[in-house]
Amino acid sequence: MNQEIYIFVKRNKTMLFTAWLVALCGILFSCDSFVDTDQPNSQLTSSAVFESKATAEAAMTDIYAQIRENGIITGKLSGIGNLMGNYSDELIAYETGSYSSEPFYNNSILASNALISSMWNSAYNQIYAANAVINGVDNSITLAVADKSQVKGEALFVRALNHFYLVNIFGDVPYVTATDYKANSVATRMKTIEVYNKVIADLKVAIDLLPQDYVSANRVRPNKATAQALLARVYLYTGAWSEASNMASAVLNNESLYVWDENLDNVFLKESTTTIWQLAPAYEGHNTEEGMVFIFSSGPPPTVALTNALMSSFTAGDLRKSHWTLAVTDGTDTWYHAFKYKEKTDTGATTEYSIIFRLAEQYLIRAEARAQQGDLIGAKEDLNKIRHTAGLTDTSADNASDIVDAIIKERRLEFFTEHGQRFFDLKRTGKLDAVLGDKLGWNSNDSLWPLPQSELQVNPYLKPQNPGY
Amino acid sequence: MKNYSFYKGRSAFWYLIIIGFTLSGTPALANKLPRQMQSPHQQNQINGTVTDGTNPLPGVTISIKGKRNSTVSSDFNGQYILSATATDTLLVSFIGFKTAIVPIRGRKIVNVQLQEDITSLQEVRVNAGYYTVKESERTGSIAKISSKDIEKQPVTNILAAMQGRMAGVSITQETGVPGGGFNINIRGVNSLRTDGNAPLYIIDGVPYSSDPISYRQTSTTIPGESNPLNSINPSDIENLEILKDADATAIYGSRGANGVVLITTKKGKAGVTSFTINTSHATSTVTRMLDMMNTQQYLKMRRQAFANDGITTYPSNAYDVNGTWDQNRYTDWQKELTGGTADILSMQGTVSGGSEQTRFLLSGNYRTESTVFPGDFLYKKGGAHLSLDHKSESNKFRISFSGGYTAQKNDLPWTDLTLLSRNLAPNAPALYDAQGNLNWENSTWQNPLSNLEGKNRSETHDLVASTLMTFQLAKGIEFKSSFGFTDLSSDASRTAPSTMYNPAYNYGSEYSSIFKNTLGRQSWIVEPQLNWHSAFGRAEIDVLLGSTFQNQQTKTRIEEASGFTSNSLIYDLTSASYLSVESDEMLVYKYQAFYGRFNYTFSNKYILNLTGRRDGSSRFGPGKQFANFGAIGAAWLFYREKWIENNVSFLSFGKLRGSYGTTGNDQIGDYQFLDTYSSSGYEYQGLHGLQPLRLYNPNFGWETNKKLEAAFELGFLKDRVMLTTAWYQNRSSNQLVGLPLPGTTGFTTIQSNLDATVQNNGLEITLRTINIQKPNFNWTTSFNLSVAKNKLLSFPGLEGSPYKNDYVIGQPLTIRKLFHSTGINPQTGIYEFADINGDGQISYADDRETVRNFSPKYFGGLHNQFTYKGWQLDFLFQFVKQLNFNFASTQGYAGTFRNQPAEIVNSWTQPGDNAQYQIYTTGVNQEAMQASEYYAESDAAVSDASYIRLKNISLSYDLPQEWLKIMHCKISLQAQNIFTITSYKGADPEFREAGFLPPLRIVSAGFQFTF
Repeated sequence: MNQEIYIFVKRNKTMLFTAWLVALCGILFSCDSFVDTDQPNSQLTSSAVFESKATAEAAMTDIYAQIRENGIITGKLSGIGNLMGNYSDELIAYETGSYSSEPFYNNSILASNALISSMWNSAYNQIYAANAVINGVDNSITLAVADKSQVKGEALFVRALNHFYLVNIFGDVPYVTATDYKANSVATRMKTIEVYNKVIADLKVAIDLLPQDYVSANRVRPNKATAQALLARVYLYTGAWSEASNMASAVLNNESLYVWDENLDNVFLKESTTTIWQLAPAYEGHNTEEGMVFIFSSGPPPTVALTNALMSSFTAGDLRKSHWTLAVTDGTDTWYHAFKYKEKTDTGATTEYSIIFRLAEQYLIRAEARAQQGDLIGAKEDLNKIRHTAGLTDTSADNASDIVDAIIKERRLEFFTEHGQRFFDLKRTGKLDAVLGDKLGWNSNDSLWPLPQSELQVNPYLKPQNPGY
Repeated sequence: MKNYSFYKGRSAFWYLIIIGFTLSGTPALANKLPRQMQSPHQQNQINGTVTDGTNPLPGVTISIKGKRNSTVSSDFNGQYILSATATDTLLVSFIGFKTAIVPIRGRKIVNVQLQEDITSLQEVRVNAGYYTVKESERTGSIAKISSKDIEKQPVTNILAAMQGRMAGVSITQETGVPGGGFNINIRGVNSLRTDGNAPLYIIDGVPYSSDPISYRQTSTTIPGESNPLNSINPSDIENLEILKDADATAIYGSRGANGVVLITTKKGKAGVTSFTINTSHATSTVTRMLDMMNTQQYLKMRRQAFANDGITTYPSNAYDVNGTWDQNRYTDWQKELTGGTADILSMQGTVSGGSEQTRFLLSGNYRTESTVFPGDFLYKKGGAHLSLDHKSESNKFRISFSGGYTAQKNDLPWTDLTLLSRNLAPNAPALYDAQGNLNWENSTWQNPLSNLEGKNRSETHDLVASTLMTFQLAKGIEFKSSFGFTDLSSDASRTAPSTMYNPAYNYGSEYSSIFKNTLGRQSWIVEPQLNWHSAFGRAEIDVLLGSTFQNQQTKTRIEEASGFTSNSLIYDLTSASYLSVESDEMLVYKYQAFYGRFNYTFSNKYILNLTGRRDGSSRFGPGKQFANFGAIGAAWLFYREKWIENNVSFLSFGKLRGSYGTTGNDQIGDYQFLDTYSSSGYEYQGLHGLQPLRLYNPNFGWETNKKLEAAFELGFLKDRVMLTTAWYQNRSSNQLVGLPLPGTTGFTTIQSNLDATVQNNGLEITLRTINIQKPNFNWTTSFNLSVAKNKLLSFPGLEGSPYKNDYVIGQPLTIRKLFHSTGINPQTGIYEFADINGDGQISYADDRETVRNFSPKYFGGLHNQFTYKGWQLDFLFQFVKQLNFNFASTQGYAGTFRNQPAEIVNSWTQPGDNAQYQIYTTGVNQEAMQASEYYAESDAAVSDASYIRLKNISLSYDLPQEWLKIMHCKISLQAQNIFTITSYKGADPEFREAGFLPPLRIVSAGFQFTF
């Protein structure tokens, strides 16, 4: 057989040479690195993003757009303004199905609820983006110091904001401060108090970094006062009364920016001087997602309506009932919808932005903190400011406990359908069972929402699930 | 595989007439012959008919021995004409028949009857991609179906025609919506990535990307992506081969891990130009409906649910029970919304012909398919196919071109109504009011037909062209190169006009919105190759060296627009008040390879086949782009051994073959290794946002797949019985996965290699028997059976990984971990489950430890074909042994404002009840709701979904020629998914995506004219 191969090679010299030549050509061609591709035209490397102010800001403001569209506090049906409104005693759900407000209204949400998992995923996605901005800014050589402070301060604020809502909705949650997926994928639940400590720490740094003035028109990017406003709320929720009072004062004393407005119809306009931070709409002419969700023109309501319980808690002459709610009737039945935002559809120019922080809350935070510290006069003064604007007389409460109760009642009427304020008030004051106990599906485990089932599925370290789920 | 003549099985009458007619003229002519035979060298016109003994054979090559350029072909009547001298000898050859040597001996009419070459089955060359190989001599595992099988099935996608016909190939149709997707697994699931299991599709040598072209928001065919093979007209396909083992696929290297599907389109045949027209009309309907509650049962359930929940006053939005709706009304919503009949019209025309040097085929086709949904929706598909072949007189240069163009236009409702039809309360109001407008019943329901206002439109244009040039450089040495080009453009949109909404809400066109997705994908490929064949002594050598350069560019643009001045302007994005470009990107995929094959055959008995490939792909990061793949295959044709020939006479064929090798997989998407930001599509204060695109991992690399195969092929009784048994074992490791991640990482997935090994092994048996072979009557049977096993061999760190709750070492990838249902608590009426970890509570993370495997245990098909004179009857049974989730997995808890399967009436109502299903709730009994969800993920929601289905039946009849003098006419009746034997509790057992429209039953009648 060797002989045969030898003969074969001799006979086919030409052919073997050609083969060798073709192979050689092929190898030469390959040196050309045929398979190297350029970076796609629609992508920018992470380091390049933080080389210029414009792109760094685009990375930062995109997080606000994400908050507006997908986050916990989006004004859409999937945000807590609607869901917590249903979950507590503000809204009644008319739509049915598992991907609707119905299970929230029934206080019978399951761990598999898609709205819950998308809320969780969006919040941590925004936290990731904020952490990526912090890393990018820290590593950037070309960015100016002032720009670095501004952007990093905003990112820290966003990180704190999301964790604040997560800990209030889900209880113990991981506090994520890095972008390393290996560490983040085995994150464990952090004790609520530790989460709050980290929120406070982030906000303090943010307050240092953020400038006094807004860097954009219409207050759509957070300034120092925005971080202070959130911190005041955090202190209130954690019972740090004097800090809460001081922080609220820091915001309220900034009178060059924030001017109280007695006209209820101005409060939710985009130019409102009582707004601390609001989200710009998707495009000029678009108004708020809240307006889209809550306003309806004929009954029965397509999605949700205000509860009778809420409507009957307005006392006679409360201007907020006539200015911030609207009745719709079909002749026999009457339904009410929230009417804080007046525009449901697009207008020539946008008139309303989604407001996240506003001055009234700071007054009521200070009122409550003062009452808790025994400063009843100061407390009543702040509370009455709100009541007067609503066309009401001074509060009749005159001891600390009654004043706190009066403040909680006032908050209900002031902040209905605003980002779950009502639910969190009942929760932090221990009144959930007492107030919501009459709802059919309510049980005391319902103070926390379940961790998303999908999350427990892929992270074995996140256990345990909240009780009752 | 046998290459039957197209005309086989023609009516006996028909050929008797022809032969009779021919013979009747012969004696008269014959008498005159001697006188004319003056000179032996005088050229005479010779004519005659070629038959196979019963039927005329068209396309037969007739040449004169020793004379060049004398070749002619027989026409469709089997008749030929040529000039020859009286002493010449004719060589009459045709594929599948023994070549006849016929001396003219002075005759003017020479009729030839060809003998079918029984063993030729083994001589047919099988396409192995870069080379062809004789069926008998192949060392790899290659399955094939030909146009004979394809044309019997009234289907739009070739994959539907393959179901049940090929061992080792599991195909499931994902939806009955026209233009929908298919899931194909060749020898099991290799990759943990659900989207990484598609085979490589090659059409006439050009790789055809299986990357989906649809976008979630504009997808017409939910679930699943539309299948790229929708662009290929099944009747343009001549042969389809599937390469399965390492020997066959290693030459495709990195893209061969999941098998390779080779499609060869039809080519022209030399001879008289023939025209063929096919036309058919089919109707299709849903195969099985779910048995749902009627109004009485439903209302009883609702009332009980409220009673269970302690609600005495029905809420104002419980319109079904609170008296708002008529409680005596009944509508079978499944019948109303999915019970329609879809019409399929199909037309195809083909012209083919040419000379020995140049052949052509041109065909055009047009097909429309409507839906079973109410409303005018239509899937239109039209295309053209051109094939040109030319060879030089010296045979040293050959060129062939093949081009196909397909246009598809799909017009569908924006959502599949199937799930809705099972959810609507049976006493829901009428669809239309007295004026014929959509009835909204005072805003108490969402009229299901409002979904038809939203349209899902897609238009796809697809061009695939390839040219293959071959030069013979010297004896045995060929240089060839193929050039391929594909161009696909797709334009899809999904509209939600304001007319979808209840008019009471006063939504105008400012509420209308549209999603639009445009995609363009071009690719080119050049594959220069050098082939060399040599024989010396008893040895034969084939060597192939080649290289591939491929470039694919995909541009996508996704837009969302809303707020239109008028609904009639909804497709005009400039009329939108809000327009957002969600994505506008161009992806480039580059691919380069060098490959070779060395084949050594000794003494026609021993065959060694070595293949190898070095691949580079742009989908991997720097330094990880290249990888090597290779395989060794060997075959022993033992029936040619003297001692077998002498001693085992009944054995007509015997081969033992085996192969081992590696292949890879680069189906991971482009640019995944880059750390980048891209536009999010959102705007904030006029500034377009940039968002981190992904978690990045620059270190992922190739996944490898090791394949081992051994097979035994036997032929008995002159190959009337052919048996192939193949055993295979594939192991894929260094698994490249989109690792699922918890949301706390900010994303849900990251590309990375896992140190996990997955094994697929199985047995494939193919048996083909010719039971009866008589001049007028033939009966053949083919049977295939695949038994497949899948196993996760190793996975270091599984316990702490995101896959902990999905996979178990030693178990298949297709398992689901489930709760173990222990029945109903007779006191509370709530489902109970086994508390595996004994912590006193049932938890999703810890108590799902019951394992069920959802991949088929075995599957196969039984095909029978009978021919009697002009009649031909085929039927194919498909069978699958498997488990599947039943209706309990999709229907949710019972008692809410949605209908339930009739079986659910057997539910718990009071303590002590021994019911099959748990307590009803309207949605406030959280414990019951949770239990219902666990039940849906428990072993109780899994039932046997094995089935035997009469997949296809086809009856055709060739009209006797005397009836239609100038043409052939064939009438056929075909049906698909005729009946199913199953004990499955659900709609369709084949179907895995519960709640969507299952594959339909199709009944078709057609005509074929040839002239």
